[in-house]
Amino acid sequence: MENTLSDASSAAIDIVPAQQRVMLEMSGVSKRFGALEVLRDVSLSVQTGEVVVVIGPSGSGKTTLLRCINLLEDYERGIVSVDGEPVGYRLDARNQRVRLAERDIAAAREKIGIVFQSFNLFPHMTVLQNIVAAPVRVRGIPRARAEARARELLAMVGLSDKVAEHPVRLSGGQQQRVAIARALAMDPKIMLFDEVTSALDPELVGEVLAAMQQLARDGMTMVVVTHEMSFARDIADRIVFMDDGVIVEQGKPDQLLFSPRTERVRAFLRRYNDRYRI
Amino acid sequence: MLFDPHFIARLIPALLQGAEVTVELAILTFAICLIWGLIVALANSSRGPLSWIAGAYIQIVRNTPLLIQLYIVYFGLSMIGFGLSGFASGLLALCIQNGGYMAEIYRGGLQAVSLRQYEAGRALGMRRWTLYRTVIIPQVVARIIPPMTNQTISIIKDTSQVAAIAVMEMMKVAQVWVESSANTYDVFLGVAIIYLVLTSVASLGGKLFERRLAFAQ
Amino acid sequence: MKEFAPLLHGYWYLFRGAGMTLLMAATAVVPATLGGVLLALLQMFGNRFARSAVVAYLFVIRGIPLLVLLTFTYYLLPLTGIDLPPFWGVVVVLACYYAAFMSEVFRAGMLSLPRAQWDAARSLGMTRRLMLQIVIFPQALRLASPPFVSLCVSLVKATSLVSIVGLWELTMASREIVERTLAPFQIFLGAAAIYFCICYTLALYGKHLERRVLGGH
Repeated sequence: MENTLSDASSAAIDIVPAQQRVMLEMSGVSKRFGALEVLRDVSLSVQTGEVVVVIGPSGSGKTTLLRCINLLEDYERGIVSVDGEPVGYRLDARNQRVRLAERDIAAAREKIGIVFQSFNLFPHMTVLQNIVAAPVRVRGIPRARAEARARELLAMVGLSDKVAEHPVRLSGGQQQRVAIARALAMDPKIMLFDEVTSALDPELVGEVLAAMQQLARDGMTMVVVTHEMSFARDIADRIVFMDDGVIVEQGKPDQLLFSPRTERVRAFLRRYNDRYRI
Repeated sequence: MLFDPHFIARLIPALLQGAEVTVELAILTFAICLIWGLIVALANSSRGPLSWIAGAYIQIVRNTPLLIQLYIVYFGLSMIGFGLSGFASGLLALCIQNGGYMAEIYRGGLQAVSLRQYEAGRALGMRRWTLYRTVIIPQVVARIIPPMTNQTISIIKDTSQVAAIAVMEMMKVAQVWVESSANTYDVFLGVAIIYLVLTSVASLGGKLFERRLAFAQ
Repeated sequence: MKEFAPLLHGYWYLFRGAGMTLLMAATAVVPATLGGVLLALLQMFGNRFARSAVVAYLFVIRGIPLLVLLTFTYYLLPLTGIDLPPFWGVVVVLACYYAAFMSEVFRAGMLSLPRAQWDAARSLGMTRRLMLQIVIFPQALRLASPPFVSLCVSLVKATSLVSIVGLWELTMASREIVERTLAPFQIFLGAAAIYFCICYTLALYGKHLERRVLGGH
């Protein structure tokens, strides 16, 4: 009976249902644009608190995959679930795919935060209004409480002094940090990042990556699409390589980046290394 | 709301005769204003007093109703001894107005083709005339086709106002027929359909022209 | 200067006419704008039936001259038994006509917003209604305001056409004075000047809005 203690602790772990440990479950997602198959039967599972980075050449489908998670893009086959609840489509009793009502889709989206490549802040609102708009109007949170939380989040990303500014007056990096705060204001269970530094001047990239690092440290579940390889290595628990609409390989950062198993990944990294140094 | 075939049989030829005048006015106005509008646009973009005069001209015709311009040309000119027929007055007034509008279309097209195209061409060593002919002008032409198409449709519709000075274009013909019979509905239907045909032809023509240019580039 | 005596005697009457012109335009602008928004929304978010109906309406209204619509409403309305004072009849026609053009302006405004704005709003869990209300409309209306003002200028000028169906406003007033004094040149010039003042002011405001809209983003 040497393992009584570990038996007891492993039993305790088993009491927590396996579902809750998986924050994002994508199974068999397929999408085509006309004749072009953008996603081919892609399945991805992300644990709570895990940071998954998706890399791959342009046109590999990685951005489309991200946008399918909260149904910004529609897909013909497959089911996506976040925190145990289906997003967009569910399976009925006969295992057929059924689209959810618009209201349910909107509710599901509240749990998913997303930050885009082109900041997408609302230009006619101030920073504060940008952040509180959804909590107040969608969730019904009292304005005072929403504003207090907004200030907290702005402090977290280091922009407390920009509360009353309009986005047009902020730099790209600042706008992106506000976008992160705005997404966080809805208390999402998972955060998606779609090449959020690609449109930024190089010197502004660091501040955004720092904010994302902090989020990861705080235990947020994150799916990040990026070109920044060194950042991928720093932040990822797992790196996923996509090409041509399929997941070619995935694994721990050091393993995938330095001793990849497939030739496609090697070729991609070789091309990358010729221009940069990881 | 009668539907009287005998009436329609007599009505259609009369309407078509009026439509002939309508089309004549429209085509002449369009052709003249293509050139006149260009002249005004060039004058406007030049430097010096000519630019000011052209600018004032454009603002005046754009901010006064066509009907008033028609009355000034028809009644006013005859008062000072330069009396023109209804058709000629109508044509003159339409040209005065649309010259101003077309000048603005030319200006918009020219501005839209970016300065960079000009600079890129010069950097490649092109001489000014070649640059204009092969790079700038084709792009300007492509860009002004949609507004020009709209302007053509506008011209076709504006010819109806010439009825106010008793020119027998389609609207006037229709007015006469309405006043002399009780079949208002049929006349309206006939007039509406013919105008729709005319404006649709203009619109399709514009789209076809656009598409042809897209291939040529 | 003596030739302008008729104008100096009659200008006050013209001003009263201008007042009626402004009243007509101002009254028509409200339903025209609301109608334009409604048509734009139906065309963008309505079901297939609503969309086809709107497209058909736009095609017909924009392909027929306003004068045709005014004239035939004037003749046909009494036949349908609806007892509407001429002023309101004209306002309704103007509103229906300009709603069609305004819908295109609003639709263009909404479509020219980057898709990213829609994405961001949807991602935050907003329903379509909320999204339109606080994200899309405020921005689209801002973008649409310069061409909207342009349409208002057009509307003011279009009121001159109601004189052809016998309603009284600035153009009709000037015709009355001309009949009395037989001095068309001066009087119509005076009317043109009044129209110019109204329309040019509006146009300048539109230019100001355009600068703000283009500079702000």
